[in-house]
Amino acid sequence: MLVEDPDGEAGLAIASGLRFAGYAVAVCPGPRGHGQCPLTGPAGCAPAHDADLVVCNLGYEREVAREVLRELRTRYPSTPLLVVVPPEIDADLREVLDSCHQLPAGATPEQVVAAVQGISEHAAEDGASA
Amino acid sequence: MRSPFHSEPEAFRFVLVLILALVPIVLAAALGPTWLALVVLAVVLGGVAARAAQLRMRKLRSPDLLVKMAPPHLGSAAERRVLVVANDTLSEEALLCEVERLGLAPRMHVLLLVPAVITPAARLTGAIDSLLDQARARMQAALDRVGHDNVAGKVTGEDPLEAIEDTFATFVPDEVIVATRWEQTAGGLEPRLAGLVRERFAVPVRHLVFEPGSAAQEPDEGTEARYQREFGAAAARKFGLRALAGAGILAALVMSLVALARTTPTTLAAANQAAAALPTGAPSALTKVIELKVIASGKKGPDGKLHDDFTVTDFHVTVGQPLTLRIDNTDTVPHSITSPEAGVSIILSPGTHDYTLLVNQAGKFEWHCAFPCDPWSMAHVGYMRGFITATAA
Repeated sequence: MLVEDPDGEAGLAIASGLRFAGYAVAVCPGPRGHGQCPLTGPAGCAPAHDADLVVCNLGYEREVAREVLRELRTRYPSTPLLVVVPPEIDADLREVLDSCHQLPAGATPEQVVAAVQGISEHAAEDGASA
Repeated sequence: MRSPFHSEPEAFRFVLVLILALVPIVLAAALGPTWLALVVLAVVLGGVAARAAQLRMRKLRSPDLLVKMAPPHLGSAAERRVLVVANDTLSEEALLCEVERLGLAPRMHVLLLVPAVITPAARLTGAIDSLLDQARARMQAALDRVGHDNVAGKVTGEDPLEAIEDTFATFVPDEVIVATRWEQTAGGLEPRLAGLVRERFAVPVRHLVFEPGSAAQEPDEGTEARYQREFGAAAARKFGLRALAGAGILAALVMSLVALARTTPTTLAAANQAAAALPTGAPSALTKVIELKVIASGKKGPDGKLHDDFTVTDFHVTVGQPLTLRIDNTDTVPHSITSPEAGVSIILSPGTHDYTLLVNQAGKFEWHCAFPCDPWSMAHVGYMRGFITATAA
């Protein structure tokens, strides 16, 4: 699981919940500025490449955060994305969030872990039925 | 080191840079004299080394680690695993009380990791075993004092950070406690270690500072940031000094090769002719031997301190005639007699060896030792600096 959260404490809390739920985790604070995320470069992002699911809580009022979502969608279209979304969603963000799983801003780490487990189980069932 | 063939673009870039570096060297070798090829080689190597040093310094100053990792929790959800990393602080009662308190919690597993901090000097002198024994003794005393079955101990001779990384694969901690002093002591853990662990692993990391007789304290963010800055600056400084020493040795070697390429074979032929022209039985210039020594801290300077010196620093030679120098370098590191103007670069290995001093133009030339040694001596004539006077035959 890759957790993208600029708040170190919040990211660790989600990571801890996911670890106790049996997942290996990687925590990334996201890009510091425009064009600084390895995802947007030629080398790519190894943790995103290896992730079974990405939890994104980057604060989508920032364009750099939307850039990360677009890159994740483009490069890893089959990897589920769980996005913690702000209350106000503009048209541009709605388009970026298309086909992403969503949680409202302020979701607790327990809610994030429960959502991840739900998505994982669903994906496993889909895999078994296919 | 990252492989240059890690990805297709990187492999392409590496091959391109290699070709661009080789072209001027091959052209210089094919079209010009040998010394020009050596100079071009030195310039290319210098450029590559400077770029590598620049990248390394940048990495040391600002570690580019953004992503923290952690394996899944091991055992049932009720179990907790705490890794305590400590060395010299194991003698502090406050730390032992903390470990004892952790050990009392139900379903708690505590691992006491004791890295024996092994310095390069200890590796050279073979003092590793005694450092490991000291660490074992500290760990055993701590385990005896705590006395819980769920508190285990492990001593390691690895780098502390690597040892912690290994422990993540075997013990799988849910929390890490790094116990240090406020400032690093001999054989103690670096205070910066907690920050390094925090940068790499996605588990809570507590940095506890223990000083004799006082309770555990936690450094604030400003102090942790200072540890990080000082670590980066110190590592960069150390690397810079090594790079400088390496560049000095490389420069001395290249100058020797250039001097060799420029003097042979014509000057050797001239020397042989000069030897043949001398009357039999006459004292030969070729057989003249000057004996001298290089002594570390061997001569008192006007500042009252002992400085590195050559026992002879003025050399008189005849143009085109070799002079043998029998030099006993009593130091443990190489020194040199280097004078680019005179075309002289003699590297003096430790021990007694014979060297040939040959100058092909008349004049008084200043020489110096090109190896970084006593900075004062390197700047003063009569110590690691002097003159070569070459007179026409």
